[in-house]
Parts: sequence; C-alpha cells; structure tokens
Amino acid sequence: MSKPLHDPLIEVKDLRVEFDVRAGIVKAVDGLTLTIHRGKTLGVIGESGCGKSMTARAILNMIPKPGKITNGEIIYHRRMKNSLESQVDDIIDLTKVDPDGKVIRQIRGGEIGMIFQEPMSSLTPVYTAGVHINEAVSLHHLVPLQKVGDQIGEQVQAHRKVTKEESRVIAIDMLRRVGIPKPEERVDNYPHQLSGGQRQRVMIAVALSCEPAMLIADEPTTALDVSIEAQILDIMRDLQQSANMAIMFITHNLGVIASMAEEIVVMYMGKAVEQGKVLEIFQNPKHPYTQALLRSIPKLGKKKTGERLASITGMVPDPFNLPTGCVFHPRCPMFMAGKCDKIAPQWKKVGEDHSVSCLLYE
Amino acid sequence: MTVVEQTTPAAPAKQKQVSQSYWALVWWKFKRNRIAVLGGILLLSFYFGFVFIPEFLSPYELNHTSDFVEAPPTKLHFIDTEGKFHLQPFVYGMERKLDFKTRARTYVEDTTRMYPISLFIHGDEYKLLGFIPSDLHLYGVDQKANPEAIVLIMGADALGRDWFTRILYGGRLSLMIGLIGQVMTIIFGMTLGVMSGYYGGMIDQVIQRTTEFLNAFPDIPLFMALAAAIPTFWSPIAVYFMLTIILSFVRWGGLARQVRGLILSLREREYVLAAKSAGASDARIMFRHLLPGTMSHVIVIATLAIPGMILSETALSWLGLGLRAPLTSWGVLLQDAATVRAIHTTPWELWTVPFILVTILAYNMLGDGLRDALDPYGTR
Repeated sequence: MSKPLHDPLIEVKDLRVEFDVRAGIVKAVDGLTLTIHRGKTLGVIGESGCGKSMTARAILNMIPKPGKITNGEIIYHRRMKNSLESQVDDIIDLTKVDPDGKVIRQIRGGEIGMIFQEPMSSLTPVYTAGVHINEAVSLHHLVPLQKVGDQIGEQVQAHRKVTKEESRVIAIDMLRRVGIPKPEERVDNYPHQLSGGQRQRVMIAVALSCEPAMLIADEPTTALDVSIEAQILDIMRDLQQSANMAIMFITHNLGVIASMAEEIVVMYMGKAVEQGKVLEIFQNPKHPYTQALLRSIPKLGKKKTGERLASITGMVPDPFNLPTGCVFHPRCPMFMAGKCDKIAPQWKKVGEDHSVSCLLYE
Repeated sequence: MTVVEQTTPAAPAKQKQVSQSYWALVWWKFKRNRIAVLGGILLLSFYFGFVFIPEFLSPYELNHTSDFVEAPPTKLHFIDTEGKFHLQPFVYGMERKLDFKTRARTYVEDTTRMYPISLFIHGDEYKLLGFIPSDLHLYGVDQKANPEAIVLIMGADALGRDWFTRILYGGRLSLMIGLIGQVMTIIFGMTLGVMSGYYGGMIDQVIQRTTEFLNAFPDIPLFMALAAAIPTFWSPIAVYFMLTIILSFVRWGGLARQVRGLILSLREREYVLAAKSAGASDARIMFRHLLPGTMSHVIVIATLAIPGMILSETALSWLGLGLRAPLTSWGVLLQDAATVRAIHTTPWELWTVPFILVTILAYNMLGDGLRDALDPYGTR
C-alpha cells in the first residue's frame, strides 16, 4: 500500500526554459531533472533568480511571454479523482499540451494547485457594483472586488458540478480547515477586510479547495511574520497528510525547508547542484554552494559575539555570459584552476539518496 | 434616560461596519460636492421627465395641431382687466390678425375671453410608458369646455403645435441616443480594449491601428458619410437605431485605448497569475478579473462623453443627416429654428437651446464630481 501512495507524480527531465530577450538568451532553467512523489514534500532552495519559480510555472505550463520551454519533458502521472487509489489513468507530458487548452486548464487548480508569494495581491479584490474594496487597494490598484467566498466558490464550480449552496458550504469548510476564525462571516469579506495571514490562508484554501494531487507553494510564507508562518506551515502539513498531497515547496528560507521537506533540491543559476534527503543535506552538505548557503544562516549561541556572518563571495554571474565549466566556479572557495572552469560537472552519487554535481567528487 | 435609550440601539450597528466601504466613501465624497449633486439631480429629473413621462408633463399630445400657427408664447395672467387678482392663473383667448401688406401674422389677446389654467387636467389621450392609458396632463386649459382655448408657454410651430410639448418629446430621443449610444460605446470599447491589452501582439496591433484609423478621420465628414449611407426609405426608428450605432462606432476608439492602458497594468498583478494557475480561461480572466478594475475609470469617461453623443445627434439632425421630421428630437427642433426667418419671426423656437445647454452642463458637473469622488483619497 505504501508504494502506490508515494509513486512518482511529476517527473521533470532535463528541463530548459529560455528567455529570448533583446540582449540575448537567458537560460532561466538549464537542464533540471527532479521527481515529485505523491504525498511527499520536495523543497527547492536557491537564491533569487535561480529558476525556482520558473520551474514551478513550467509545471503548470505558464511561462510568461518571451520565455519558452526549449527542451526536456515534464511527465505528469495523472490519476483521476474517482479512480482506484493505485491506478494511473494517463501520462501527460505537460510541456506538450496547449498552454491555453482545456486539458491544462483542468490540471491547473484542479489537479495542481499553486500558492504565490504575495498574499496582498494574489487575491482578486474584484469588485462588482455595490460591493466594496479596501481603502489602500482602491488607491494603489484601481481594483476589483470579488468576495472571498466567491473566489473559492468559482474555482469549485470550474472543476466539478456543485450547486451554489454546496459550494458555499465547501468554501466555509475550507476556510475553517485553514484556520480562519468565524468562517461563516469571513466568507463574505473582501480581501481588504482580511489580514495578510488570513489572505494567504484564503489563497491556500483556494488552492486546496479542489483537492489537488499536488500543491506548488512558491515562497508562501515570505511575506508573513514568523508566528503566522508557523501556523501556515502547520496547516499545510496537516492537509498534506489528510489528502496525500504532494508539495513542491519553493523558498530561500532554509529553516522553513528543514521543517517541511523530506527531499531537497538546491538550485544555482537554473541548474540543480545538489539533491537528497533533507537531513543528509543539512548534516553533510557536499556542494560548496550548499555549504556556503548553510554557513550564511545565523545561529544562536554557537558563535562568538562580534563574529561576522559568512556570506558567499562574489556576485551572481551575468545571465548572458554564464561562466564556462561549473557555473559556480567564480565564487567557489574550492575552485580548482584548469578543471572547474573547463569541465561541466556530472551528477555523482555521494550517499544513499544524495547526489551532487561537483567536480570535487568526480 | 431617553438619551441612553437612543444611543444603545445605534451602537451595535456601527460596530458591525468594520471599515468604510469604497462605495460608501465615494458616496460621502460625492455628496459634499454640491455642484455634482445638482448635476445629478437635474439629470435624474430630465431623464425621468423627458423619457418616461413627457406625455403627462406636456399639455397636449405631440401631434396636436391647432390654428395658432407660429403663435408666440401665451402670457399667463393673474390680474384681469378690472384689476382683480386670481389665485389661479389664466390665459386670454387669442385672435389672429393678418397684415395684408407684409403677410405677417400677428396675434392679439382677446381680453373678453378668459380661460383658467388648471393642474391635473383631462385632455388628449395617451398611453403612459406605452401601456398605461390616461388622459391626465400636468397643466392646461379645459379643452372640452373651451375647445378654442390654447396655452402655449413656449409658442407654437408652423403647424400650430405647442413648442414646449415638442421639446419634451424631443428630449426623449435626444437623451436616449446619448445613453444608448454610450452603453454601446462602452460595450465595444471595453471588449476591444481588454482584448487589446490582455493578448497584446497581433490582436493589439490590429485593434490599435483600427482606432487610429477611425480617429484620423475628421468627425463630421465621417458622420456625414456614414449617415448618408442610411437608406432613405428606412423607417425613422430604424434610422434612429442606425444613428446610435454610427455614433458609438466612431467613438469606441478612445475608450478602448484607456481600457487597454489600464489592462496593461492590471494584467501584471499577481491575482491574474493566481486566477490562471487556478485554471481560469482567458475570457474569465478578462471579463471577471480584469474588467471590474477599470469600472470606476470607465464610469467617469462615459459620463463625460455622453454630452458629446447628444451634441453629435443634434448636429447631425440639424444638418439633416440624422433623425428626420416625423421623429422629434432636439436636433430636429433646432433644424426648424435654424433659418434667419425663423429667428426673426419665431424666436421662441430657440427655447430648445437652453434645454440642450442645461443637459450638457449637468453631465459635465456630474462627471467632474464623479471623477473626484471615485478617487476618495484625492486631496481635492
């Protein structure tokens, strides 16, 4: 029973996403391979601009305009909601489906939900006559209002046939599950009537209301304060267990990822540089970039006062002129001249469920 | 004690309203702008009076002709020849005189005949709103008792029809053409604008170049060309609708541009991405998630553009290219009054002008007020 419970859901194979802009071609994702299993959490970490979010958007086939998936495939093992637990009904390459077509629209939201970084603007504060929006919202974004309840209800209706009353019941129930107090009242509130944490919870409720097989959380707690962050993470973990949902958790917060994920992929400049079980990577980081990342976390009590926090030396390279060989070599403390700047590293297994892409281990 | 009783029930109601809603703020700000409120009230009463109940407000039916051809406005009197004051105003009978040398008609009051003007009097029959039969008029003289009496507060036209009645009926078409035309402009402009802004690329190019093409034409010749293309054998009502379509067809471009500009910024908002990742179709994103955000802007633009519509109708009809004689609109009425002879002999036919002016001014007052009010945090 445990095997079909955690069989692969999404397999990303040698994915390349390129942006053809005036100054040249930017490789946002460059040959990424990873697998997401049902009911498991995969953490994706890395600096800003390393291609984490683009990977997530590639899975939903939502790469913004000048960008394109130029290589690779994203295999989605589709399992219909009403079919047997262990049965995979369909295998779809998500890079091949029409990005505006019906299939991908069913998958988006219905089977793969996504939460975004900005709880303040991710809810359509949509507005129709007679309904109101928040003071700040009305000035800065001349925008829209839609009832929070409606937003959830709308999505439910898009994916299965439920009546308005039913969908309202579901909306209230979802709000209760994500821990919003007085959901019967909150369901009629507009985004501006909610706090940031509540809005993010509503976002999560929106994403989870169709019981997706996978949730992509793109820095879901970055904009929240620490206490709310902990609540949100608890909620996500509970829901994952109850619905056997896979989570792809994108963040640059190593503390959060340590508590959430079972497996980690570390990304640098569109490439995965190290992946493995979370404990392995935290206790025994192999790649110099991972080591540097972990060193740059402030630790309480361990260090002498006055000691400076470690930082990664150098700058993120120019995306139009990526370094030859290993992309990390200009910043790498273990740089081996004549090797790292010439040879592109290959994947090397350094332990059980732990591999690294670095010439040090070859 | 009474004070306590009064305040306690009010308190929970206040607590329930956690924050001021956007529209409550808009309304609060709008209310403080007296000129805008005045404009709004004027327009509401104009639309109500001219569109819904002109039959009731006018003393006669539209095509009630009389012998009093081109008669000047009848004077209302309160004091009779003997110096006696009457609380109920009255008019004297009118006698027509023809100057055989100049062939000019003159009317003199016959002070021996007095006809009191009554409110809510029974007169010509009509159907209110097209289905309620009635013969009640706001004011008038008793036609059954005194068939030769007439009250013409703004004079009469060449067929002896009451000019005030014609203004009221003409207002119906002129005001409606502005409103219907603007609604159609909004539909065209918003749909094309949102598509232009959301899709970009080729669709954007085609729509934008089309609006430029339309805008590059001088207005009046384009109107004239389009209006001249309306077949002459069409019924006046068909001409009316065709004219509405022409007016909005020429004017959607500006609105489409404004909406496009707003959409260009709105589509970058995260909620659009969120909606897309939730599986929303393009149409749903455009019309459910993006368009509502442009509404407050569109309301203002539309309000300020309606006068242009009304004036275009007036101008076209005045040129003889818009509505034609059996129909009555303000433009048609102006056409009657547009000759030098008419201005010389029947200057009261210019009474149409103040009605047009007040309508246009009221729209501008309302539009300005709305513009300020829809930005409730503005400093003005």
